[in-house]
Amino acid sequence: MAVDALDLEVPAGKTMVLVGPSGCGKTTTLRMINRLVEPTEGRVLLDGRDVRQSNPAQLRRGIGYVIQQTGLFPHRTVQDNIATVPLLDGWPRKKARARARDLLALVGLDPALAPRYPYQLSGGQQQRVGVARALAADPPVLLMDEPFSAVDPLIRASLQDELVRLQTELRKTVVLVTHDIEEAIKVGDLVALYRPDGRLAQVDAPQRLLGMPVDSYVSDFVGFDRGIRLLSFFRATGLNLRAEPIVGSDSTVAKALGAARDAGQPWILVTDSDGKPRGWLPAERLAPLADDTPLGTVPAEEFGHTFTVETDSLRAALDAALLSPAGQAIGVDSAGRVAGLLSYDQLRAAVQAAEATTKDAAGDAEQQPRSLRA
Amino acid sequence: MSWSWVSVNGSLIWQLTRQTAYLGVVPALIGLAISVPLGVTAARWRWFSPPALAAVNVIYAIPSLALFIALIPALGLSDTNVIVALTLFSLCIMVPNVIAGLRSVAEPVRQAATAMGYGQLRQLVGVELPLATPVIIGGLRVAVVSSISLASVGQLIGVSSLGYLFIDGLQRSFPTEIYVGLVLIIVLALACDLVLVGARRALTPWAAR
Repeated sequence: MAVDALDLEVPAGKTMVLVGPSGCGKTTTLRMINRLVEPTEGRVLLDGRDVRQSNPAQLRRGIGYVIQQTGLFPHRTVQDNIATVPLLDGWPRKKARARARDLLALVGLDPALAPRYPYQLSGGQQQRVGVARALAADPPVLLMDEPFSAVDPLIRASLQDELVRLQTELRKTVVLVTHDIEEAIKVGDLVALYRPDGRLAQVDAPQRLLGMPVDSYVSDFVGFDRGIRLLSFFRATGLNLRAEPIVGSDSTVAKALGAARDAGQPWILVTDSDGKPRGWLPAERLAPLADDTPLGTVPAEEFGHTFTVETDSLRAALDAALLSPAGQAIGVDSAGRVAGLLSYDQLRAAVQAAEATTKDAAGDAEQQPRSLRA
Repeated sequence: MSWSWVSVNGSLIWQLTRQTAYLGVVPALIGLAISVPLGVTAARWRWFSPPALAAVNVIYAIPSLALFIALIPALGLSDTNVIVALTLFSLCIMVPNVIAGLRSVAEPVRQAATAMGYGQLRQLVGVELPLATPVIIGGLRVAVVSSISLASVGQLIGVSSLGYLFIDGLQRSFPTEIYVGLVLIIVLALACDLVLVGARRALTPWAAR
């Protein structure tokens, strides 16, 4: 008995990630949807219709399927692999191949790869072809069984980004199985976490899984650094950044020291003529220098990396603060110009405020009719 | 080595060579045609596989001459006799190869085909048999070479082939004939093998080399 008493509803157009330890039944759940596995009891409804009322082959052509080992047909070219379902559905070969080339571009591959055979592709490219093949007949539902587990971490991250990007464009109903909670949190609109016995522990949006685990099993599974990972769900746009002490490199030591004194800060950020960060200067290094020394001539500390206020999360801001010699994060605008500074204390306040909103949101959710039950 | 004998008997040698090629290639091709459905059956219904493999193994244990003689009451001293016997022998090579070829299809590929919405027959013809082709052709190469070689034994029941040169050469104590027969059988086998290797390359451009 791999799966027991499972009650799960996947909202249309969303990505539902099934995650759990091996043997918990997440893959079995996935395979029940396209009837690769038949449930001994219970029903699987697709658009309100029991999947067992459909002819299996017909049903499957309407459901995209991506697996870890890609399962590409070694004897077919890339374009014919992608065109598999359209060809099964009786499309003319020319039309099917044209569609295949469009899909190659959609998944970020060079259409020149179309006539190649799978063995001529890298693992990451093969996995992209697998995704393109699943999308070929434009099925409303996409099943993905550990789609990125077999590729190296760098490629995996880019494939995950690609999936998120594709989803904003295509809005398929995606069910993705993984054992990697990071992946679940990154790509899922909803995450269903399984217990080892095949029951569901929690079904929730990723930030709620991180912020409000229902029990110790969930919090252990999510990991000890869930607090930090939760930060990636909060935008940095609302932060109150400090404007001082920031001084241009054409300014002088006297002005820099004045700015530091006014702000009560031991570190001064020096910017270049474009307003981009140049480096940090400790006030104590400037004190012995002549007042009219131009700042541009004083060697500054590396500023590490910055965060972009409009697009980054609090996690990026915290990371920037951690790696800064001054213990402060530098927020920049989209052009890379300094927008302001952020200290640990300010970050802590922002995190507390953000966590409070999560709890409120969770409280609201209790009132709503719940579309998902575990 | 008497070269003059070779030039005088050129047309006889040519005719025997063609006959040997015929007796070698035809049984292997009929064997292929029979072994594919047998192999498909055995790969699909696993219980069928052990008895099928045991049966072909038993056949392979029969000496070729004994089989030719056993078929005489039914088929007489004819080409058909030798072709039927050699077909049975080629089944012994081909059936296990077809089964192995179908089993060599990777499970994820099979699963993906099912999940894409292939029906069983379409999946067999469109995915599994094409992917089994390299292994099946590998079996065919052995079957053809072994048929060519065994065809010469048919000479003992009067079905002519390059085997004639062995028996005649022995009876007349004339080694040239034996050498010529031996060399031609080897050349013929190599030529058929080469054709099959070419066929495999042409049919499976997708196989990584």
